[in-house]
This record gives sequence, structure tokens and C-alpha cells, in this order.
Amino acid sequence: MSQAFDRLLDARGMNCPMPLVNARKEAGKMEPGQVLKVLATDRGSVADFQGWAKIAKNVELLGQEEESVDGANVYVHYVKRIA
Amino acid sequence: MTKQIEPVWTSADLLASLEQREKFFVLDVRNREEFERFQLEGREPLPALNIPYFEMLEMGGQDEMVDSVVACVEQHLDGQIPRDILVLSVCAKGDTSEYVRQALERLDYTTAHLKGGMKAWGEHYSTGVVVETPELAIYQVWRPARGCLSYVVASEGKALVIDPLRHLHPYLDLAQKKGFRIEAVMDTHGHADHISGGTALAAESGAPYHLHPYDAIHPMDVLPATIPYNAIRDGQIFNVGQVQLEALHIPGHTLGLVALRIDDRYLFTGDSICIGSIARPDLGGKAETWAPLHYRSLRKLAALPGKMTVLPGHFSSLKEQNDAGLFAATLDELKRSNPGLQRLAQESEQGFVRYLMDNLPPFLAEYVDIKRVNAGLLAPSEDKASELELGKNVCGLAASGNCKGESQ
Repeated sequence: MSQAFDRLLDARGMNCPMPLVNARKEAGKMEPGQVLKVLATDRGSVADFQGWAKIAKNVELLGQEEESVDGANVYVHYVKRIA
Repeated sequence: MTKQIEPVWTSADLLASLEQREKFFVLDVRNREEFERFQLEGREPLPALNIPYFEMLEMGGQDEMVDSVVACVEQHLDGQIPRDILVLSVCAKGDTSEYVRQALERLDYTTAHLKGGMKAWGEHYSTGVVVETPELAIYQVWRPARGCLSYVVASEGKALVIDPLRHLHPYLDLAQKKGFRIEAVMDTHGHADHISGGTALAAESGAPYHLHPYDAIHPMDVLPATIPYNAIRDGQIFNVGQVQLEALHIPGHTLGLVALRIDDRYLFTGDSICIGSIARPDLGGKAETWAPLHYRSLRKLAALPGKMTVLPGHFSSLKEQNDAGLFAATLDELKRSNPGLQRLAQESEQGFVRYLMDNLPPFLAEYVDIKRVNAGLLAPSEDKASELELGKNVCGLAASGNCKGESQ
């Protein structure tokens, strides 16, 4: 998926809950319609971003990807501000 | 309150608290699917509340985690979290739970968090002493969260390990501490619910690994195991120092299940007879064909001397722990208390098979893959292995009360 994005948050190396806490802060600074790309190494972030997007009123999860960078798994989340 | 509150509980602290039936409340902030699949259990159900941390973030509406939890609890959870008992904050890996603990502390709750989270708890081991004399020592090495039991039988500095679980450190540490050498390793059967440490421990110790050959074939794939093993025969004697263990082939739960007896004193039953349950016959996908074998094997075991101490492969609840902290009971005691053995005494083969078939718990998809891993047909990463093993085993029959922890 080559998803366009407006902001990039590098949360690699961060433990739960920081990837999501920081993504939420970033999303708070964005305009509706803008997209945030989040890089995380915490595997739990995959389910947590899905759960968060379901209940949060102002964001939508556009997609998630898993990449391997230098042997480490990186989980990519695309979060769109919708309101 | 005289007892000082430690803000951090290790898995060992948690186990001690559960064993001593201390009262505490669980605030579990993992997502709902994780909570449903695997949660803390005591002798009695623990009072608990599951609110994913990201829901607390949204409900609290603050930028920072601790501030959000404070706001969330104040505005939305008033009265749902008790103030008269300790609140144990729990998450997946033990980081988020510390933020939640700080928030609760700010609100003057009595609180602690679980270090390492449910991952550490799922991989926690404990060791009980069944007997420890110069002639014979038996240790029960167990995983509280999973309900898995394994054994080390030692005599004269030599040891046999029965059904070692996935992590090797409990066995290697025990061998070092007690000064014995692991000279043989065996699995009573090809396990479906957990990944065996058998071949890895054998390789690490330079010891042979024993398995009944019928369990060296994956029952669904009908493919031969690729792991190195020595074939166990019915009636085979294993010598450990002064002690002799005799293998009894008791097919039913699997085709190659064996029990081991030490004269008229101890009976390692694998999964066939546990404290509160008996094994299910369907984990190979052949319940109708295996159930009659299971009946005949149970009959064979039930005919052994009643004073023998049964040492099972699983437990389903801490309630099954005896006053000495062990999962053990005499065969006579189990004939009185175990619902499966009670039925065995009352039913014909046909009736007992029907009873088995009527009480099969749900079949977990993971079990097919776990059997593949144990046969060497699949090599999962550590993450994947950990995921396959999540939650409590369901090797026992539903009617026997072994299935509280099933897939949920």
C-alpha cells in the first residue's frame, strides 16, 4: 500500500502505550482530512490502533502494514483525522 | 493495615497472593479480545474490570496517559473500582499498567501493578516438592497461568524429566541447585495444548528424549515427526539411580499416551486422569475411535492400588491444589471426587463413550499447529510460540469441570 500521508511519527523502540499516546497527540494537532503515518515496533500496537480507531470519534484507521527493517518487524499504521 | 503495599507485584508475588486467597481487584487494561481469551484466575473468580487503555485515553480526553486515566476514573468509573481492597493494574507487558497504577495512586487507591504483565504471568513457573529423600525426589514444576504440570524425578544425582514445558530454565536451575544431572527426558504424549520443551531440554542436557512412537505421527497431517526420539514400549523400565519407572501404554487422549509408575507409590498419569477431570479423546480429530481406547485405559489405571499418588499433567483451577501446594491425590481419593472416574465406575463401555462424546469442549484451532510444532513439523518464532500457547489448556472433558478457561 502506498498511502499518502501528511505527518510521520516514528515510534519505533517505544513500548505500549507510547506509540498510541503519541499518535493521538499528533492527530490532535492535525486538520480534518490529514493523514498520520506511524512506525512502531510494538507488536501489540496493531490490535490497539484498531481498537482505538473504533471508539475514537475523530480518527479513522486507513490501513496497517508490516515491514521488516534490518531484521526487525515494523508495524505501520495510517491514521486519518476525520473531524 | 499492617502489611506494607508493594507498588510492583512480580508474577511470584501474584501467585503467592492467589494461593493465599488474598482479596484484590483486577483492573485489566488490555483490549477486550485479549482479556476474553486469557485472564487472571484464582481459586474463586477474581473481581475484575476490563477497560482497554485506549478507551481510558479517549474517555479521559487528556494528552498524557496518567492524566487521562485520572480523568477517566474520576468522571466515568466512579464506584466501579473498590477502595477497600488493593487494585492490581494489569496489561499485556507491564508498561501501561504502571501508568494506570500511578493514576490510581494519585486518586488515593491502594494499588499495585503486575510487572511484565500477562506475558510474564503466562510464562511464570513454580516448583513444588512432592517428595525429597536420598532415595527418591520428585519435583512438580508447573506453569500457574496455563495449568500445565511437569515433573523431575531424581535419585542419586541422576534425573528424569517428564513432560518438560517450553522454557528450560526451571529444569536447568533445579538440576544445578539440587546437584543432579538430567540423564533422560520424556513426553508422556504428543501435547496439543502447549509446546513441549522435551527435545530442546534433551539436546541441552545431552540426554536421550523418549516418546511413544504412535505419538510421533501427527494425527491430522498423518506425517511422521522429524524430531529425534527413542521409542517408548509398553512395560519398559526406566532406571533413575535407585528408582525404577515403568511405562504403561494408555491410549485414548492420544494414541501414544503413556503413564509411568514408581512401584505402588506414584503414578504419573499424563493427561489421562487429572485431579478434577479426565482427558478428552478428540484432540487428534478421531474422537469416536479413540474414546473406547480411553475407556479401556482408564479401567486399567483405576485397577491400580488405590493408595498410589496420582501426579497429573494438568490442572484446571487452583482449587485443585492441596494443602501442601501440590496438584496430587491418591487414586482412591480421585475415585471418590473426580466426576470422570465416578462415571467410569458406573458406566458400560458404550455408556462411557457416550458420556465422553456428549461432553467434548470446543476444539481450539491452535491445537493442530501446536502438535505440528511438537512433532518438529513447524518451527515458530518466539512471538508466534508465545501466541500459540496463550491462555489456559483445555485437555480435560467439559463435564469434569476442566473447561472454565476454554477459548472464552
